[in-house]
Amino acid sequence: MTKVAIIASNGGLFDAYKVFNIATAAASIDAEVGIFFTFEGLNLIHKDAHKKLPMPAGTEHFQEGFQRANVPPIEELVSMAKELDVKMIACQMTMDVMNLEKEQFVEGTDVGGAATFLNFARDANITLTF
Amino acid sequence: MQVTVNRVVDCKGLTCPMPVIRTKKEINNLEPGEVMEIQATDKGSKADLKAWSESTGHEYIGSIEEGEIIKHYIRKVSQEEQKTETKHGEVVSLDELLQNLKGEEKITVLDVREPAEYAFGHIPGAINIPLGELEERFEELNQEEPIHVICRTGNRSDLAAQKLTEKGFHHVKNVVPGMNDWKGPTEKTK
Repeated sequence: MTKVAIIASNGGLFDAYKVFNIATAAASIDAEVGIFFTFEGLNLIHKDAHKKLPMPAGTEHFQEGFQRANVPPIEELVSMAKELDVKMIACQMTMDVMNLEKEQFVEGTDVGGAATFLNFARDANITLTF
Repeated sequence: MQVTVNRVVDCKGLTCPMPVIRTKKEINNLEPGEVMEIQATDKGSKADLKAWSESTGHEYIGSIEEGEIIKHYIRKVSQEEQKTETKHGEVVSLDELLQNLKGEEKITVLDVREPAEYAFGHIPGAINIPLGELEERFEELNQEEPIHVICRTGNRSDLAAQKLTEKGFHHVKNVVPGMNDWKGPTEKTK
C-alpha cells in the first residue's frame, strides 16, 4: 500500500488547499495518509481558525475565483479527510508554545511529537512539506 | 452513443479533488464487474480519473464529452480478475483470431465484456453478451459455428468458455490475452 506523509507548517488558506487536496486525493487511491500539523499549520485543524483562514496579502482578489470555480471550503475537505481515514497529528510542542489544548482541534486529531511523525514517515513512499 | 451503466455519479460543478473523492466513495457501492458513469465538468477530471483508475487497478473504459459535461466510464475490477490463470483448454492468440476472421470458415466472435466496454471499441461483427448474462442468453448463440470468446484480458472469456462447454458447445476457444492488446480493426457503437 502506498503511504504518504505530509508536514503542514503554514497556516494560510492556500497552504490548507495544498495540504488537504493532496491528502484527500492520496486517500482516494487507497493510500495511507498522515499529516503532521506544526507551528502555523495548526490553524488548518483548529476548530475556529480553519473556517476563516487568511489569504496571502495581495491575493484577496482570488476570493472571487474560488467562488466561481466552486472550490469546496476547507471545512468540507477536513471532514472528507477524516472520512477517508487520513491520520491527523497535532504537534505537542507547538501546542505548548501556543497554549493550545487538544479539544480546540477538529475531532479525530491525535497529538504527538516529532518522533510520532517520523515513525509514521519512516516507510512512506511519498513525503511532502507544505 | 448510448452506454449502459449500473450507476451514475454526479460530479458536475465540482473541482479537484472532489470528483476523485466521490468516485472513490461510489466505487464501494458497485459489485465487481459493474460499470459507473461519472459526470463531471472539471476539465482536469480527464487526466485525474484515468490516473485514479491506474492507481487503484480499476478499468478506465473511456469518456464522452457532451457540451460542458464529460462522462467518464469506469469498471470495478475485482482482485480475482487480475489473476491470469486460465482453465479452458482451447486457446487462440490474437494473431490467430485475426487470421481466422479473414479465413473462409464463418466464426462467431463472442465479446463477454460489459456493454460499456463493448461500446467504446469491439471487433466488427462481435456479439456482446456480458459474462453475467451468459447463463440466460447462451441459446442466442449458434452451437454449430466455432465460437471465439474474448474479453479484456482473457479472464472473463475463460470463465465464459468453460460455461459454454458445460452447456454442450463443442467448438469454443478462449482468445488470449484480449481486447487490451488487440491491434486489429475495431468499431464503436454509435
